[in-house]
Amino acid sequence: MTLTRRALLSGGAAAAALGLTGCSGLTPGRRTGGSLDYWNLFGGGDGVRMAQMLDVFRTANRGVDLDAVTLAWGNPYYTKLSLATLGDKPPDVAVAHLTRMKTMVEAGLVEELLPEDLARHGMTADKFTPRTWQAGLVEGRTYAIPIDTHPFVMFYNTDVCEKAGLLDSSGALSPLDTPERFTDALRRAKEVTKAQGGVVAITNETATPWRIFQSLYGQLGGEMLADEGRRVVVDEARATQVLDFLQGLTREGLAPASADYQGTIATFANGQAGFFFQGEWEISTFQTAKTPFSMTLFPNVFGGEKYAVQADSHTLLIPRQPDRDPERIDRALLFIRSMLDQSKTWAEGGHVPSWLPFRDSAEYKAMTPQSNYATAADAAVYDPEGWYSGSGSNFEIITGSIIASVMAGQQAPATAIAQIRDKLTNLATTAPPI
Amino acid sequence: MSIETRVKLFNRICAGVLIAFALLWLVPLLWALDTALKPNAETTRTSWLIEDPTLGAFGRTLRETDILNWFGSSLFISTLSAAGAVLTGSLAAYALSRMRFRYRNAIFWFVLAGIMIPGQVLIVPQFREMDSLGLLNTFWAVSLPQIPTAIAVFIFKQFFDGLPKELEEVARMDGAGFLRIYRRIIMPLARPAVAAVAIFTFVSSWNDLLWPLLVLSNPDIMTVPVGLATVQGSFGIRYADTMASAILGAIPLVAVFLLFQRNIVEGIAGSGLKG
Amino acid sequence: MPHVTAETAVRPGRSARADLAPEPGRGFGLPAAGFLAPFLLLYLLFIIGPAIYGLIMSFFDTSAVKPGLSSFAGFGNYTEALQSGDFWSSLWHTMWFTILTTPPLILIAFVLALLADRVKKGRWFFRLAFFAPYILPSAVVALIWIWLYTPGLGLIEAGLGQIGITAPNWLGDPGWAMPSLALTTVWWTLGFNFVLYLAGLQEIPRDLYEASAMDGASPWQQIRSITIPMLARTTTLVAVLQVIASLKVFDQMYMMTAGGPNFATRSILQYVYDEGFTNFRIGYASAVSMLFFLVVLAVSAVWFALVRRQERGL
Repeated sequence: MTLTRRALLSGGAAAAALGLTGCSGLTPGRRTGGSLDYWNLFGGGDGVRMAQMLDVFRTANRGVDLDAVTLAWGNPYYTKLSLATLGDKPPDVAVAHLTRMKTMVEAGLVEELLPEDLARHGMTADKFTPRTWQAGLVEGRTYAIPIDTHPFVMFYNTDVCEKAGLLDSSGALSPLDTPERFTDALRRAKEVTKAQGGVVAITNETATPWRIFQSLYGQLGGEMLADEGRRVVVDEARATQVLDFLQGLTREGLAPASADYQGTIATFANGQAGFFFQGEWEISTFQTAKTPFSMTLFPNVFGGEKYAVQADSHTLLIPRQPDRDPERIDRALLFIRSMLDQSKTWAEGGHVPSWLPFRDSAEYKAMTPQSNYATAADAAVYDPEGWYSGSGSNFEIITGSIIASVMAGQQAPATAIAQIRDKLTNLATTAPPI
Repeated sequence: MSIETRVKLFNRICAGVLIAFALLWLVPLLWALDTALKPNAETTRTSWLIEDPTLGAFGRTLRETDILNWFGSSLFISTLSAAGAVLTGSLAAYALSRMRFRYRNAIFWFVLAGIMIPGQVLIVPQFREMDSLGLLNTFWAVSLPQIPTAIAVFIFKQFFDGLPKELEEVARMDGAGFLRIYRRIIMPLARPAVAAVAIFTFVSSWNDLLWPLLVLSNPDIMTVPVGLATVQGSFGIRYADTMASAILGAIPLVAVFLLFQRNIVEGIAGSGLKG
Repeated sequence: MPHVTAETAVRPGRSARADLAPEPGRGFGLPAAGFLAPFLLLYLLFIIGPAIYGLIMSFFDTSAVKPGLSSFAGFGNYTEALQSGDFWSSLWHTMWFTILTTPPLILIAFVLALLADRVKKGRWFFRLAFFAPYILPSAVVALIWIWLYTPGLGLIEAGLGQIGITAPNWLGDPGWAMPSLALTTVWWTLGFNFVLYLAGLQEIPRDLYEASAMDGASPWQQIRSITIPMLARTTTLVAVLQVIASLKVFDQMYMMTAGGPNFATRSILQYVYDEGFTNFRIGYASAVSMLFFLVVLAVSAVWFALVRRQERGL
């Protein structure tokens, strides 16, 4: 009988499949009994370091069954996390950029972290960098624990800069705190390398152009959005000043007008550029390539007294749970505390720790070049608030691509600013879904 | 040159071009296999030569990803969808083909209209529906919308319409009910249609990405395509491992293809219908 | 037992009288209902129901993270979509993708089927080579081709480099991203059309060719006057199926370019996904889905008209 044979086959296959998947797909239940599901978006060098930290946690907590999953960085990660939470099968603890975390909180997808629970694990407000802690609060309540700040920084080739006469007596780079000193340094570096002065990724790249723009714009005190993203307040004068400056760099050949992310890394690693502008996370790349380099704060070109630089922070949060099981939450907090205790491993990847017990320690201060730019955390300018904003968001993609086109010499600052204002207004006037 | 020689030469050229294209078509798969058999470090040199062949990439993929779980999920869901489509489709088609009742034509057109609605148009409301039913993140969420396939009804009805009536008339005169006729007479004859519907539903369910991507968020219950797509970035520059995961992901369906090659090809050729 | 093959059963147009004599005075309402129930129940619940609900949602500002329908928006979502640059550009990207893939998928499949038809031996090998990619999940295809397109390490770049051509950044260059996706898609789905054409070719009676050969027709003339016209119906079918499938493209973009660079490859379905599930705006996404449905309907209507004309012509 075809029908019954078929039924047998499907039944058998189903049974086998059930055995493999442990029935977890048939009901919306979650893993039980000492389990901990952790989602993150760390690939590459960060991923390796995270894996080390997870192993330490596992060894110290043998009763906990930790399952870690790495998902692709950017919108796909946040979409998956949101959908999983909506479907009542969220992970127990997840990474989120501080700028995206706020949107998730507004959407009701994050558990509040109560002070008494946090205190039980020794995570009180005074143990974190004040700026980072404050930036993560929503209406005075805590929803996420910051583990680092990752600012935009400047890498410099020590050999090239020495030959260019840019190092002071102690071997550190003299500060490039005016536009003239900045361009002068790049010019001299270019003369030494006979290739590039400085490199910054602008081709097929949106995050980097946004970050360098935001750093300079922030130094001038400019804002992009107000009212939680409902109003666009781009300051014409300040934005023009920054875009003129940036376009000047490529126009005068101090930085290439066409350079993609991997290309800029290769150029700096091979000593063909004196300066490299990017987030601090590339530190391992150059250590592996054995490039003679150091790192310091992104130059305070326009800031004067008030230094500012673009940054975001990684935080750990607990997605909204279908059942507020105190045991699970406690395990999640235990995990978070363990990650903080391993701030040293994490800082080796270039990040600025927000856990004060480590940041204020002699151990961290001895870590160079990481500790060179530690103060960036206090001067961090985060992406503006808005449901469409945050790391890897549409806001960054829109602004970044327009800024990149200015730096590539493809359009004038005036039209670019009009375009930015136009597109952001579209988003700003859309009814927020949260 | 005589016509015969010309024709022979032409045929040889045709064969040559065909072979060249076929080999070209095989290159991506062969290259993937070639890469998967290398250690990760060797993949930075673009060359067919494998200096240090190893199955390590496959081992690592099996250990580090949930791919075995993904196999299980895909198998369960696709089997459920295929069995469901065959069952519900054939039952409905039998009624539409053999029974006379009011609104029969209307119902038939109503079902046929479903072929016009592309599934992708429905993802948003279906998601919402699964959310309110509390079925998000379960196999049911993936399978249930895949079972009522209008095309299955159409294929079965066409098939049943073509079956001669005599067998059933004899059985009915002996007092057999519809259900028994369906089970004992019709379905055993319907093997080709069953095979076509089952295989197509199974394959398209297995390969579906968009809908399972939306409703399955937990890595250990994801289907193979969703799992591969979701953890895509986590291999970084370990290209051998990435290729190994791709090949492992392909194996189940390649096996299905090799087993049911003739049915699949006949099904396409005969019905000319695509999902 | 009469031997019924798939071919004779599935080909439309074979009508046998489709109903047994009902019991006097009644139709078969009750048993029919029983047989239809499983299908219809699932069909109403999971196909028709959502279709109607989607239509309703498109008139509200429904959010994925808020329960209920939220505030009424009237035609607001539709006007926003029709005025939105992102909507039109994703529609255009989908069209561009269709234009890039449909001709090669028809022509190359046709030519290869022609060649295969002439070659008597080893057909299984060609069928395997061309059709094998078709059964691969899109995720596998994407991973393999991402690797082929990887800057610096990709095989295509290396191959071109050997003959002195510098390859572009296949997936990272806004001008090359869509053609690259198109190439991947052609590799992936050509086999289906190939099989369809091969089957169609084998149905053309051999004596037609023999007769024309005796009249001195060259192979090329035979193709033009016999093969192509006899395959007109298959070609129409292939073309329409191809166009409709291209309109629904999502997988390749999602995995290989994430709709980038800078949204240059975002298809209309990916736009629905981004707006509905990344931005939580499912009311708006429903409106866009409805507009997309209208486009598919329009294409299908064109197909019906074409088929009706062909049927009449024959």
